[in-house]
Amino acid sequence: MVNFTVDQIREIMDNKYNIRNMSVIAHVDHGKSTLTDSLVSKAGIIASAKAGEMRFTDTRKDEQERCITIKSTAISLYYGIKKEDLQYITQEQDPKGDTNFLINLIDSPGHVDFSSEVTAALRVTDGALVVVDCVSGVCVQTETVLRQAIAERIKPVLFMNKMDLALLTMQIDKEDMYQTFQRIVENTNVIIATYEVEDNPMGNIDVDPKKGTVGFGSGLHGWAFTLKNFATMYASRFKIAESKLLGKLWGDNFYDDKTKKWSKDQGEGSRGFTKYILDPIYKIFNTCMKETKEKALELITKMNIKLTQDEKEMLHDKQLLKVVMRKWLPAGDALLEMIVLHLPSPVTAQKYRCEMLYEGPMDDVCAIAVKNCDPKGELMMYISKMVPTSDKGRFFAFGRVFSGTVATGMKVRIMGPNYIPGKREDLYQKSIQRTILMMGRYTEPIENVPCGNICGLVGVDQFLIKTGTISTFAGAHNMRVMKFSVSPVVRVAVECQNPSELPKLVEGLKRLAKSDPMVQCMIEESGEHIVAGAGELHLEICIKDLIEDHACIPLKTSDPVVSYRESVSEESAITCLSKSPNKHNRLFMRACPLPDGIAADIDDGKISPKQEVKERARYLAEKYGMDVTESRKIWCFGPEGMGPNLLMDVTKGVQYLNEIKDSVVSGFQWATKEGVLCEENLRGVRFNIHDVTLHADAIHRGGGQIIPTTRRVLYACMLTAKPCMMEPVYLVEIQCPEVAVGGIFTCLNKRRGMVIENTNIGNTPQMQVKAYLPVNESFGFTGDLRSQTGGQAFPQCVFDHWQVLPGDCFDPKSKPFEVVEKARKRKGLKEGVPNLDNFLDKL
Amino acid sequence: MSVAIFSSKDEDCIERKVQVRNNERTPPSEVDSVYGIEGCVQWIAAGQYKRIALQFPNELMGDAVLVSEKIEALIEGKVFILGDTAYGSCCVDEVSAEHCVADCILHYGHACLSPTRRLPVLYVFGHSPFQTSHCVEGFRELFPNKDEKVIVMYDTVYYYAIEELKQLLESECTNLVVSELLLPDTRQDSSCQTEDSHSGESSIQTICKCGRRLKLSFGADVDSYSIFYVGDEGPTLTNMIMTFNKSKFYSYNPATKTSRKESLNVNRALMKRFYLIEKAKDAQIVGIVVGTLGVSNFADIINQLKKVIHLAGKKSYTFVVGKLNVAKLANFMEIDIFVYVACPENTLLDSSDFYKPVITPFEMEMACNKARTWAGEIYTDFTQLLPGAASYVEMCDDDCEESDVSLITGKLRHIGRASADDKVGAVVKRSELWTMAPQSKSAAEFLSDRSWKGLEQGVGETPVSLAIEGARGIAISYAGEGERNVALKGSPKIAIEYEVEKEENG
Repeated sequence: MVNFTVDQIREIMDNKYNIRNMSVIAHVDHGKSTLTDSLVSKAGIIASAKAGEMRFTDTRKDEQERCITIKSTAISLYYGIKKEDLQYITQEQDPKGDTNFLINLIDSPGHVDFSSEVTAALRVTDGALVVVDCVSGVCVQTETVLRQAIAERIKPVLFMNKMDLALLTMQIDKEDMYQTFQRIVENTNVIIATYEVEDNPMGNIDVDPKKGTVGFGSGLHGWAFTLKNFATMYASRFKIAESKLLGKLWGDNFYDDKTKKWSKDQGEGSRGFTKYILDPIYKIFNTCMKETKEKALELITKMNIKLTQDEKEMLHDKQLLKVVMRKWLPAGDALLEMIVLHLPSPVTAQKYRCEMLYEGPMDDVCAIAVKNCDPKGELMMYISKMVPTSDKGRFFAFGRVFSGTVATGMKVRIMGPNYIPGKREDLYQKSIQRTILMMGRYTEPIENVPCGNICGLVGVDQFLIKTGTISTFAGAHNMRVMKFSVSPVVRVAVECQNPSELPKLVEGLKRLAKSDPMVQCMIEESGEHIVAGAGELHLEICIKDLIEDHACIPLKTSDPVVSYRESVSEESAITCLSKSPNKHNRLFMRACPLPDGIAADIDDGKISPKQEVKERARYLAEKYGMDVTESRKIWCFGPEGMGPNLLMDVTKGVQYLNEIKDSVVSGFQWATKEGVLCEENLRGVRFNIHDVTLHADAIHRGGGQIIPTTRRVLYACMLTAKPCMMEPVYLVEIQCPEVAVGGIFTCLNKRRGMVIENTNIGNTPQMQVKAYLPVNESFGFTGDLRSQTGGQAFPQCVFDHWQVLPGDCFDPKSKPFEVVEKARKRKGLKEGVPNLDNFLDKL
Repeated sequence: MSVAIFSSKDEDCIERKVQVRNNERTPPSEVDSVYGIEGCVQWIAAGQYKRIALQFPNELMGDAVLVSEKIEALIEGKVFILGDTAYGSCCVDEVSAEHCVADCILHYGHACLSPTRRLPVLYVFGHSPFQTSHCVEGFRELFPNKDEKVIVMYDTVYYYAIEELKQLLESECTNLVVSELLLPDTRQDSSCQTEDSHSGESSIQTICKCGRRLKLSFGADVDSYSIFYVGDEGPTLTNMIMTFNKSKFYSYNPATKTSRKESLNVNRALMKRFYLIEKAKDAQIVGIVVGTLGVSNFADIINQLKKVIHLAGKKSYTFVVGKLNVAKLANFMEIDIFVYVACPENTLLDSSDFYKPVITPFEMEMACNKARTWAGEIYTDFTQLLPGAASYVEMCDDDCEESDVSLITGKLRHIGRASADDKVGAVVKRSELWTMAPQSKSAAEFLSDRSWKGLEQGVGETPVSLAIEGARGIAISYAGEGERNVALKGSPKIAIEYEVEKEENG
């Protein structure tokens, strides 16, 4: 631990070249938090008053109980490197040659349900320490977070964790160990290459042990090394330059003791990595664990590792090993050095990240200030999440200053995600009450924070929901909204015991909505209060927070349900006609399903209402073979003006058509939001307007006549086009030993799962199974799977796509019928889908 | 086929079902007793009224002539029959009565008993068939325990039989309270506008709600009573269930002779109403729909609503549209929510078919008035919200702007007027990127965002074309529509012709 006063911390903040903002990301249970602990104990900055207290990143009680991280937590570390090591920094450096570094580290959760926390963490950092368990290798979530990191232009470095486990429990021999490492490096680079764009402005971001961007060690035992550590060690002994030696310590470089020569072929020699790195480590392990204590102590003295008298006497086997390794290869030094040397400073990173971050033109004042990381420029700060304070209902706004300096009392513009420059929506001009430093669960007031740093703000929380941009420049555009890799597809309804508690419940839901980057809280028209999250675990945590911290009242919770979508599977059998209430206007329309992929493209923003019409039409024509003239006549998207349904004008020369456009669009938005089957959103439906007849007097074709009629005709179109229900589907990835695969298959079969991939991981007996599993069938899946496989399989579920629920909606025995009826009952609608006669008129 | 083109099929006409309501007339011999002709005449004579308006609901209109003739024969004045009102027939229609310069109104049939102001009113509820003994049996089934605390409520049409029922029930139940109707002539003698006015020394508290008066022993909590309602299900019962939403409801329906426990899930219903309150908080533009001209103080509540809405930073417009329907309100697309000012029984409207929701004045108040806290109650009677009434809450006008998360849109919204420095009217330097807009969007702004902005000339932009002949005929089926229909169904030959014709025209 390093004791600093706030002033001292503030001083380091000014040197933007010597700041590293980084997140620790990995698959669940690969040991992020443990590793972070060992870094904190080495270099954690704590204000003097708080010295002595520990456990920084586990800020919540349930995090400690469950042994998983739920919220990402930021801490600051201090590290001073050796002057001569500055040469290894390839990026732009501090001209004064300062060797003191400030590292802002964010420990993130590994469970897929909380990956929104990872996204929020990545946004405010420039580098990522990717932790991989060297026993289980690169896993699903490793890939997911790495993909996100690359998309955000975050530079990764790799750390192979749990070497202790590999050596002690698995007893892996040296060559296999090397092969394992080699494979993990390769796998990681494959992922990087898959998601990397061409001509990456970050430069080459492959991880390579030779370059020093890969670390090895054990977070639990607190030791770690990079090749550079060993190179330095041997450099003086062998009298070879460090850099030259580095190259020999990895890959197919073999040293023959007899000829005293390095060669590329194994021959009689032994691999550099094995000989110079693994040999000594294995030796210590074997000596400490298997030999007598005397022998061990002998070796320790020979290695020049100093133990205290107590340690020599008291410790045995594993404990001794731990202490020895920690003293020999302290994890903090190796990792912090790697971070400082290889991860980018804000100055470097913001140059290439600016275009990804800023929505405005790249030559405006803000963009230039961000690119240059200019502390004297206009303020640009991105708030990535809200952190609850001890004051109920209030939050710290947590984020990164990208340009300018944020100060207590400063008057700023607070811009929410819906802000459009020049408009008043989602914009507030308020003063910042206080800027604060956030270190784990502790906060310290600080007068101001210059760009490149991460900090918290007090007093802006009520003007933002979850995220937002803070600026001083009137013409500033927003910083781009984060894109999450998970979607809130699992929902529960919460209900208070007594209606008089409704205001408390609503207040609690509002707070919950703020405190989590992903959760959605809403009231439905039926009066139900819905909380939607990424998965069962996520929801469980949210509900717990809601009851204990936010609403503070007992609540009843429904079983988890999924949200469905309504769609159609064929083109309408007839052209549907509906007449307006006054019978003077007629609308003729048809519905048909959109080609596969369009709905997903709309979700991803590849096709959007904001696009230029011709460009969009070209895209639709080329990719989906839609008629070009028709694709230019998309009236609107829906629901909410941006959903995955289209209203298209295929009429030919109809008079006054433009005049009713607004009314038809309103009716379309209404009908796509509340479909005919059970008032769920529509998905993947295209409605074609074929013809209209309108009354000659404008007064008789106003909104009152057209809006309800449009809704009716759209409902008729749906009913005549074989309506169907769509359900969300998870992509499940399971890693397990080969013997457990049978159990997995049975489990998946029972739940309508579909296996899409089943492969060996490298040459290990571990298998990786990928499958599609309907979200609705996933409740209790984890527990079921564990009992089926004797606790050997642990699934990770990520929302993947929507699929049609097979069966006829009108067949009382079918699944979709059941779903529709259940939804109608829950919403208090009349039993049974309304008859076509209600919507279809005859001439 | 040719016939089918120009009009609907013949069979349709024959098969079309017309809904005929139960319009049976009362046998002339019973008119005197059912309509209480004698009482009416006495009342008219006592008040020395000369021009008498008779208000009948639609279902009693058949007897109107007979009743008016009988009355006219017995008095010295002139009798008018008013048509059914533009609003609910449960309310006294003073405006129509004033059209014929009447000096009193006789209201027949079911009534909501909302207070009126301008004219003296006599309610004649009529005699709906009611079998007292059967009702008592039903009561016994529902309340086997004699100590149960029960309040008896009833539809006004069973008023005549209630005294008899009361006597019979008192032997069945020891803790029985029978409600009284708040009739105009009894309204004055006990001023019970407030909820807990205990008269003098006596240990009785009087509660007046839903046009009923309950006399409970002092200290008794109305929530601890079960309520036994005599009448059929309808707005009256719904209104009562919502008002006394903490009590259990049982009902006996004399028409079907069935008794049951009311299954309407009050919590669910309240949650739905709460959703509407949240929706109202989101609204920027509010439409106040006048749904009564009879209930006294309706103008006061409209003014109060306007004030409250304004103070909440929203904009309001007032509409008078007569009977509500979907098409009428959907004409005003720019309105985010409608407030329906009507009598307690009509005010709770299921607006799920409406383009924009319709709520009660109480709910609007809840949404705008920060000083109001909700404890699960619903006031359907808007007079309760007026200054001086029991549940009036002063609007706090602290000029502060508050923002919170809307759980409906998921966006931020603000409640309250913009803070002083943002006020419209202050001179603000306008920069290029900065468009000043008043905080609450007005309807005009909405219209300017529409894609269709009226008959703009657009000279040079829109190609000039000749006027074409439109469709002829009547709305139910214009001339030639059948052919078009065939064309659309895909007969290729006609389709081509049809298109050619269109192109020529266009």
